[in-house]
Amino acid sequence: MRRRNELAVLPKLPLLITESADEFDALRDAFEQEIKPRGIIEQMYVHDFCSIVWEILRLRRGRAAIVNAAFRDALVHVLTECLTKPGKLQLDLDDQVQTLALAWFKNEQGKKRVAKTLNESGFDEYAIEGEAIRRSSSALELLNRMLASLEARRDKALRCIGDYRDGWGRQLRGLSDRMIEGQDVPVLVHASSEESAA
Amino acid sequence: MASERQIAANRANARKSSGPRSSAGKSRASRNAYRHGLSLSVGTNAPLAPQLETLARKIAGNAVDAITLERAREIAQAEFDLARVRRAKVALIESARACAAADRPPMPPQDPDQSAEAVRRVLPDLRKLDRYERRAAVQRDRAVFGFYGREKFSNNPKL
Repeated sequence: MRRRNELAVLPKLPLLITESADEFDALRDAFEQEIKPRGIIEQMYVHDFCSIVWEILRLRRGRAAIVNAAFRDALVHVLTECLTKPGKLQLDLDDQVQTLALAWFKNEQGKKRVAKTLNESGFDEYAIEGEAIRRSSSALELLNRMLASLEARRDKALRCIGDYRDGWGRQLRGLSDRMIEGQDVPVLVHASSEESAA
Repeated sequence: MASERQIAANRANARKSSGPRSSAGKSRASRNAYRHGLSLSVGTNAPLAPQLETLARKIAGNAVDAITLERAREIAQAEFDLARVRRAKVALIESARACAAADRPPMPPQDPDQSAEAVRRVLPDLRKLDRYERRAAVQRDRAVFGFYGREKFSNNPKL
């Protein structure tokens, strides 16, 4: 119940329409079981950590979309290279390429036809994928930079929890030392975690 | 090179177009540079004030002195700034998803997941928002470590 109260005061992570709130909660629960946050500040960092992981997953799905989006153009390009023959009319070539490209997306039979055409020219389906990756390299590079940035921030969130616990531990040790020595006991700054520490 | 006559004409034209004159025009022009407002803190947003204060008091715990409360408010504010950038990112992807649904090329069988496709379309804009998110996170971390009277954060290169 206490954890729910603490989470209620934190701003909620907005999700896409296609994303599941239950899945996000399950992810956060899994991390909370591992990290065992104490107090609102640690809850905040765990929430941050989960939000970043969630975004990393979202971007990784985007990586597939980037290559898929370039797939059609890549397919047309590779087929054009395979089917180009001296003396062949450009109009006929375009027509043949478009028909085959469309067939690829329609059914398995269409895919087999394309594969046969590629094989005849010494290519296979990986040639299409390779061309799609080549065509989307700038977008993939941008995505990778964003992923690297998110991964750095994810690690930093974990370090912050560690540093925070370290500082809190030192405060407690200092307090207990002063109590043992009979000195005046100042109020702990880390008041928000008193309930959980007790 | 422009002749004397052209220079004079340019100056005369420039004097004619010295910006909006009506109050409505001035008001609109005053927002010309406004893009998303993410460089402004949510502290300026009155409707969020109660939520901010609730979080700040939760962070401050039993402490009642003004300085502790003010530092707790800094943390809460940065946390809400961070959430706002994340909301902006989601809104951006959602709007791209809506547009993508309208003008999708006719190749449905291997159509990628709608949201993933939307992410692809707005990738450069997401990258720009990333800068604001990083900044909000750094401000939050500084506020947290400042709250506990530690200098470590600003000196620690790994943070």
